[in-house]
Amino acid sequence: MASRADGPGAGNAGGPGTGGGGAGRPEAAGLSGGIRDAGLSGDVRGAGLSGDVRNAGLSGGVRVEGLAVRQPATGRTLLSGVSFEVAPGESVAIVGESGSGKSLTVRAMLGLLPRGLEATGRVDVDGVRVDDDPRTRARQRGGVVSLLMQDPFTLLNPLRRVGRQIADGLPKGADPKVEVPRLLAEVGLPEDVAGRHPFQLSGGMRQRVGLAAALAGGPRVLVADEPTTALDATTQREVLALVRRIQRERDMAFVLITHDLRLAFSTCDRVVVMYAGRIMETGGAAAVRNEQLHPYTRALLAAEPPADRRLAVIPAVPGSVPAHDAVADRCAFAERCSLAVAECLAVGPVPKAVRPGRESACLRATELPAQPAPAPGVTLPFRGLADAVLDVRDLRRTFAGAGRPALAGVSLSIASGEVVGVVGESGSGKTTLARCVAGLERPDAGTILLDGVDCSDYGRLSRTAVRQARRTAQMIFQDPYSTLNPARTIGAALAEALRADGRPAASGDVARLLESVGLGRDMAGMRPAGLSGGERQRVAIARAVAGEPRLLICDEPVSALDVSVQAQILGLLAELRERLSMAMLFITHDLAVVRQIADRLYVLEAGRCVETGSADQVLDAPAHPYTRALLASVPDGSAGWLG
Amino acid sequence: MAWRSWGAFLLRRFAGTAVVVVLLSIGVFGLLYLAPGSVQQTLLGTRPATPETIAAIQARYHLDDPLPVQYLSWLGGVLRGDLGVSIRTGSPVADMIGDRLPLTLALTGYGTLLSLLAGIPLGVAGALRRGRATDRLVVTAGVVGLSAPPFAVGLLLLVVFAAWLGWFPVYGTGEGLADQIWHLTLPAAALAVGAVGMLVRFSRAALIRELDQDYVVFARARGLSSAAVLGYALRNSLVPILTAAGLIVTGMLAGTVLVEVTFALPGLGSLLVDSVTFKDVPAVQALALLLTLLIAVVNLLVDVGYSVVDPRVRLGGRTS
Amino acid sequence: MKHPRAGLARETRRRPPISVAVALAVLVAVAVATVFAPWIVPDATAQDLMLGITGPGPGHPLGTDDLGRDVLELLVAGARTAVPGALCVAAGSMLIGNLVGLPAGYLGGWVDALAMRWADLVFSLPALLVAIVVAGVLGGGYGLAIAVLVVLFAPTDTRVVRGAVLEQRHRPYVEAAQLKNLSAWRIMTRHVWPNIAPVALANVFLNFAYALVSLASLSFLGLGVPAGSPDWGRTLSDNRTQFLTNPWTVIAPGLAIIATAAALNIVGDWLYERVDRRGRAR
Repeated sequence: MASRADGPGAGNAGGPGTGGGGAGRPEAAGLSGGIRDAGLSGDVRGAGLSGDVRNAGLSGGVRVEGLAVRQPATGRTLLSGVSFEVAPGESVAIVGESGSGKSLTVRAMLGLLPRGLEATGRVDVDGVRVDDDPRTRARQRGGVVSLLMQDPFTLLNPLRRVGRQIADGLPKGADPKVEVPRLLAEVGLPEDVAGRHPFQLSGGMRQRVGLAAALAGGPRVLVADEPTTALDATTQREVLALVRRIQRERDMAFVLITHDLRLAFSTCDRVVVMYAGRIMETGGAAAVRNEQLHPYTRALLAAEPPADRRLAVIPAVPGSVPAHDAVADRCAFAERCSLAVAECLAVGPVPKAVRPGRESACLRATELPAQPAPAPGVTLPFRGLADAVLDVRDLRRTFAGAGRPALAGVSLSIASGEVVGVVGESGSGKTTLARCVAGLERPDAGTILLDGVDCSDYGRLSRTAVRQARRTAQMIFQDPYSTLNPARTIGAALAEALRADGRPAASGDVARLLESVGLGRDMAGMRPAGLSGGERQRVAIARAVAGEPRLLICDEPVSALDVSVQAQILGLLAELRERLSMAMLFITHDLAVVRQIADRLYVLEAGRCVETGSADQVLDAPAHPYTRALLASVPDGSAGWLG
Repeated sequence: MAWRSWGAFLLRRFAGTAVVVVLLSIGVFGLLYLAPGSVQQTLLGTRPATPETIAAIQARYHLDDPLPVQYLSWLGGVLRGDLGVSIRTGSPVADMIGDRLPLTLALTGYGTLLSLLAGIPLGVAGALRRGRATDRLVVTAGVVGLSAPPFAVGLLLLVVFAAWLGWFPVYGTGEGLADQIWHLTLPAAALAVGAVGMLVRFSRAALIRELDQDYVVFARARGLSSAAVLGYALRNSLVPILTAAGLIVTGMLAGTVLVEVTFALPGLGSLLVDSVTFKDVPAVQALALLLTLLIAVVNLLVDVGYSVVDPRVRLGGRTS
Repeated sequence: MKHPRAGLARETRRRPPISVAVALAVLVAVAVATVFAPWIVPDATAQDLMLGITGPGPGHPLGTDDLGRDVLELLVAGARTAVPGALCVAAGSMLIGNLVGLPAGYLGGWVDALAMRWADLVFSLPALLVAIVVAGVLGGGYGLAIAVLVVLFAPTDTRVVRGAVLEQRHRPYVEAAQLKNLSAWRIMTRHVWPNIAPVALANVFLNFAYALVSLASLSFLGLGVPAGSPDWGRTLSDNRTQFLTNPWTVIAPGLAIIATAAALNIVGDWLYERVDRRGRAR
């Protein structure tokens, strides 16, 4: 038939075996049962469990032994030798950066691995061995073990009313008319939410619905995979507190996957730290918080900046997280570790009990030197706005179809060489502000003076004025994966930037520019696909500062990066600011990050500025309740944080 | 409020359809002027150019009036059911269409039924067995079906099932219901092949996309039965499958032309080809307008169906 | 917000599947026939009315048609008529699609609005039926049929290109180029286009298949190439009453059309899928 089916949708719709990841089909044969009994090697088995050996047949708990996940198609191993257990009623956090294998660990534990991956090792849930038994797994789901997933915007069926979705998970014989309102009440939602569709609810409400649905079967083990990462900071704390409270009330075993070590300390009894597909360290939350027995845990904790004080330098970890197989037969962290000795590169260490309840995979766990406290930094005193590089007055912007303005009259100024932070949650208008200043968005009203020139509407500026404005202000973006053109080499991108800013752009100039952001000159020939997220962000910074702009607009420049890399980039920005005496407009949701870099702060809520002042003043003595709420939602690592 | 926004949505779609139909009707009217030679000659066809015939044409088509007036009077006639007189046969076009419409409707209806019965189950089977032999077979068969023009398929079916195996008649429409169905089976199958290909592609892709969604993993993780999980995914994949319906109907209508010619069936399609070949402009205009209207109505129905299936469209939510 | 990249399960690219390999082989054969037909079968249209229609036999592996022409030779010669026209349609519409879609997607505004209304209008039309009516009433033949198909295909390509551009439009790398004060022309051609070109290429294959089938359909209805031309659609039409005597007169050109179109679609789908995969892998 001569009918067209070649639109973009149809095009990628077709095709044999539309590829990619994601867990696929419903329970077809052999689907869930990737895990088979592997001939476990002696040392892996022996390495598993520490001091207080628990009964393997424990009911209401989980025990994982020698877990490994492989991708048969490529022969890659993604994680190996993972052993831990969760006692009934206990809460355990699995902490790691991206690529650590933390999510795969629980997916393998639950038999929900994405297509194309296979697990080996032993898994006991509720006292029953399940790794070789997909039927038992299927039976256990919901009633014995349940999972809460990361993204509240995708975890619910978009076309089904939430009440019905919750009811679908109820055990046979339960009356939805009674149980659904009860579950909704348990997660703090009114009864009428049951009749709504997911798209009619906010992210926080959806995640509460998700929790109610996960609890519908009355599980004894609840696994939560970064359940609050996609939520705003204030909502995050509420949802976590709720999960924790329900876990205690129902006396469930609880496994929390998170990238945030402080969050793990604040929410769980014990922590398991993973890196490059291996366990580095395990122990009680308070014990690990007080003393880390693995240099990686130390480095991770040190790299997470505190919100309550400024550090002179955030201790960054050089390099980036390696793939599991890239560091086989040696300590996975050795190459980035300042304490590594020759032996660390020669043997692949496994976690060993260092003292009761504590395990570490570091060969030198018992001889780690004491750690010096990081030096405090100083916030530059405010020297007035005599030579403001940016002066924004009463900026307004409303997007078509939006209920309220994104910017409802925001004024802000930045002195020459000053770093000004703009903080707020999603929807506060902070990114719109940055884009208006950069000229990527046109404000409805208000003025933007860039170096004294009115740049409120780039469309009405002369060509020379636009060029001048562009050379005055440059911008770096959040997502390191789309900030560079995948089709061009790094060298071509930087040469173009240099030329555009009227600088010489020979290969020597490009090499100097690369070195100024801490990259090797050989990187010029590479394309973005070969670079890590941190390296890409460095290139993006190099591109922005090629013409030594007077103002650098940074839109969440580190929020998509791993903690260890985040510290590197913050260090680089601080150094460039010093060297180029550049002012910065630093947009972020993260108060701890902004504390480390900003001299002055503006706090935005729903398109309005609610508080402004020096960073120390705003963060040490917040005046506005919203600022206080934001501050309270930063995990401090203490057990009392959730309230 | 939500219902009002749905009403506004439907009204907007309806207005859009009306605009498209009006624009296309202008194009259809314009065919008269596009045809080579003068309008008068075109309308005379093979009749002799006597003063009487010319006067009759002038009176009927208001050729002396300005073009917009000509168009409006033509449109007025169409709306009253006056589709003009065929140059080729001399009989009213409306009657000719009326005679042939049932066969074409039966053919497309039968073809649609066959394609639904084959296409969606195959697509679902492919999605559920993704990456395996069954799936690869389904996908390849779907692409071949999509690529095969109905006349080629029709002739191949005739060679195999009528000439070699003798299971079906070669030509004719048959007498009585059962016999008619028997006669229409090969043409309907030829018509259905392309639609099957398209349905396989759309339903497979849609279901695979849904099965990869987080909500499917979450539903499994909290212990929903396989049937319930598949129910979730199927319901959600209905939305993209529905968007294929418009494409399928336009494809079917184009296909009937070829199939009716191939099997020598007296339907609207063969009427269109005969009229086009003969440059019987009034008949072509009427048929083109009818097809335009049919397609516009189907597209409108798809939009409405879409909004019924997806509450986000109906209740003014954002599709995210 | 840290989104753990979902790329872990990404399958690494293996060899192209067998269906693609077969499709590529078919396309090579068709290309050879298209280019070298005058040398391979110099007298494909030579008639032998004395012989008339015969079944397969010595000297005529697929028999002859009622004009005594060798069916196999007609098949090879037919490629030369059927393929170039379809290629013109696919290439022409993709050229227009790029020229209109790129600025429509990147600049937006009235260019975009106009292009999309045009697309909406053409989208509600079955291309083949319009081509039948227009080519028939205008009596234009093959050239006009190609022109009509280009006009009707271009909106799809425009939409595909525009959609791909829109997807890139607000990526930081494009905005960073804007902030470097590069001209819109330079950003469109040097930054955006290289990233959407694979989509455009894949679409050329899909359009090629559809154009081949459409032109064959027009020829079949007697609205394309003149009677007696060695064209697949025309041969089918000329022999559609003869299949009881020599079924190969119908089977050979029918299968040629189906195989070529299917091969093009398979390759196009495969290209799309690769682009899609790469897009997700970033």
